[in-house]
Amino acid sequence: MEEVIFGSNIMQLFIALILVSTFMILGSTRLYSCVRAFGIQSFLLASVAGVVALSTGKIDIYIVAILTLAIKSILIPYIFIYIIREIKVKREIALYVGISPSLIIGGILVVISYYLIRSINVITDLSSFALSASMSLVSIGLFIMISRKKAIMQMLGILIMENGLFLGAISLTNGMPLLVELGIFFDVLIGVLIMGILIFRINKTFETIDTDMLKNLIG
Amino acid sequence: MIEYLLLAPLLTSILCFFTRTKKQVETISVLGSIITLLLGLLLVVDVYKYEVIVTWQNALFADAFSAYIVLIVSIVGFVASLYSVGYMGHEHKHGVIDDKKLRLYYSLFHIFMFTMLLVGVTNNLGLWIAIEMTTLVSALLMILYSRKSSIEAAWKYMIICTVGITFALFGTILTYFAAVNILGETGDALNWTSLIAVADQFDPTIMKLAFIFILIGYGTKAGLAPMHTWLPDAHSEAPTPVSALLSGVLLNCAMYGIIRFYTVASKSTGEAFTSNLLIIFGLLSLGIAVPFILLQEDYKRLLAYSSVEHMGIIALGIGFGGVYGIFGAILHMFNHAMTKSLMFFGAGNILLKHDTKEIFNVSGVVKSMPVTGAMFVVGTLAITGSPPFSIFISEFTILASGFSQGHIVAAVLFLLFIIMIFAGFFNNVSRMAFGNPKPGIEKGDMGRWTLVAMGILMVFIIVLGVYIPTPFYEMIMRVVEIVR
Repeated sequence: MEEVIFGSNIMQLFIALILVSTFMILGSTRLYSCVRAFGIQSFLLASVAGVVALSTGKIDIYIVAILTLAIKSILIPYIFIYIIREIKVKREIALYVGISPSLIIGGILVVISYYLIRSINVITDLSSFALSASMSLVSIGLFIMISRKKAIMQMLGILIMENGLFLGAISLTNGMPLLVELGIFFDVLIGVLIMGILIFRINKTFETIDTDMLKNLIG
Repeated sequence: MIEYLLLAPLLTSILCFFTRTKKQVETISVLGSIITLLLGLLLVVDVYKYEVIVTWQNALFADAFSAYIVLIVSIVGFVASLYSVGYMGHEHKHGVIDDKKLRLYYSLFHIFMFTMLLVGVTNNLGLWIAIEMTTLVSALLMILYSRKSSIEAAWKYMIICTVGITFALFGTILTYFAAVNILGETGDALNWTSLIAVADQFDPTIMKLAFIFILIGYGTKAGLAPMHTWLPDAHSEAPTPVSALLSGVLLNCAMYGIIRFYTVASKSTGEAFTSNLLIIFGLLSLGIAVPFILLQEDYKRLLAYSSVEHMGIIALGIGFGGVYGIFGAILHMFNHAMTKSLMFFGAGNILLKHDTKEIFNVSGVVKSMPVTGAMFVVGTLAITGSPPFSIFISEFTILASGFSQGHIVAAVLFLLFIIMIFAGFFNNVSRMAFGNPKPGIEKGDMGRWTLVAMGILMVFIIVLGVYIPTPFYEMIMRVVEIVR
């Protein structure tokens, strides 16, 4: 049954668009466009969950889809925009790795993920498409965390990784049990709030949110 | 039973938040932690009677291993709340924190206790949720002092541990996938009890991948090298009572996650795979701790690196396997929790007195603070594994099992590393403890609350060094049965 779901054209379209939105984040130097792209990515993720819910008819997955829509594509981007406004950071992202190398590395990561998932070879062809997209999201999220200077971008990187895992979970098993999913949503939301508090503190004490400044504790 | 145990710290936390005076908040905090301790002990007795307790639609559960973790959390939590009265009281008196922050501290402290107890009693791989919650709460505790260094430490802690924990989530999803293939899509497919029963039918390729992700993920949280980089920062910058909880208890909670998965994964992949991974990470942690302990200049970081070392020892014990290896590792969790908390409390008293964390700027502690100094020195002997203290017993058991299970090279390296760590650690501490106090340091100890807290821990360290009471022994043996 899963093959039917993940083989459908609409599903492949959504997953491809999720990858595109990830590259929008990689290729942008403006904080707002990154946050917008993240919002789009989460919206697409909610759509994936919605398609799975429609075809399986399970109420649990409907709830998960709605929560994804509400929390990840509306609430969290809103929190981001609030933070950016309040701390009045420069809207440009400082980079350790330039835009074009970033995009190339992103492409390489997608290819590697695809071959890695293929080599495990325990999953059917069609859901492995979703799974390799999920691996790509995780690795690109990690790459964004280490290649961008602003603390906000590290926070965004973690959320991209989390989105990737969500895609992986829903493509492998139609999502975890509802209680566990709810717990994960709760943790993600609280995590975003607390990272927000930390960013405010960093901004207040160091007068910047560039993580260059956080290099005093060593040895 | 389990519900009440979880409710106690939550209620205490809410009450702490809404009190007025310093006296009230301290009383509520100590009373709350006593109640938590008593409920924890009751749970231990219940588990002793019924073997396994399950409530709340299967979401909460307790077997001997859970009860053991609950026991460690509630004992150290109780002692740390006593110590907090002295330590935070001193900070409050000297204007480092105000009334509002003190209330915030105590209410976060008890929420932190709640999340750690939750780690012990969650019935399924949703353990992930509880472990992530501990990160969130403790990051807030770390930024209680708005110092530059503590904010830096909290940010690193938050980022590194969240990424680590994300990997663990991936491992969890893979395990669930393996389970769903056998059990079908039920809510039960994540529960320990149903997992263990069918674990031998899981696909080994998936379980290998899952265990690697889990080990890296929870290993980050447990401070196993080379994912330990956040640990010295976080443990040295947190308020001292919290440092004790982080080092003594939280690391054990993460280790608990690894051990639970070890049991599930070993059934499908075979013990050799999981054990070897644990031995490699264990030895790496020990090895990396050596130079940092030898050349350390900051005494709270010294203790933090020693935690990396001890987590490595626990991983080694599980990796060596056999009844004795696992017995030693489980016992070591308890011993390390008690001893490391004692050391952090001692370090906290020294910090309050000298207002510096530099080893070179502290000397003559035994003369200026006789009781703290004496316990700090004894604690040092205990933590480095000298007889006749408790850690010696567990380290020796692990070492013996290393030789008897045929891991000769690993066991020899282990011995070599702990000898070097003993030398480095003792050298650093003796510089602080002996000699004459620095000019301007008044004589006198830090107040009775801190000393009572240290005294209680001292009892555990000395008693368990010479004799393990039968009920405690039986409890550990039951845990060993669960882990194997």
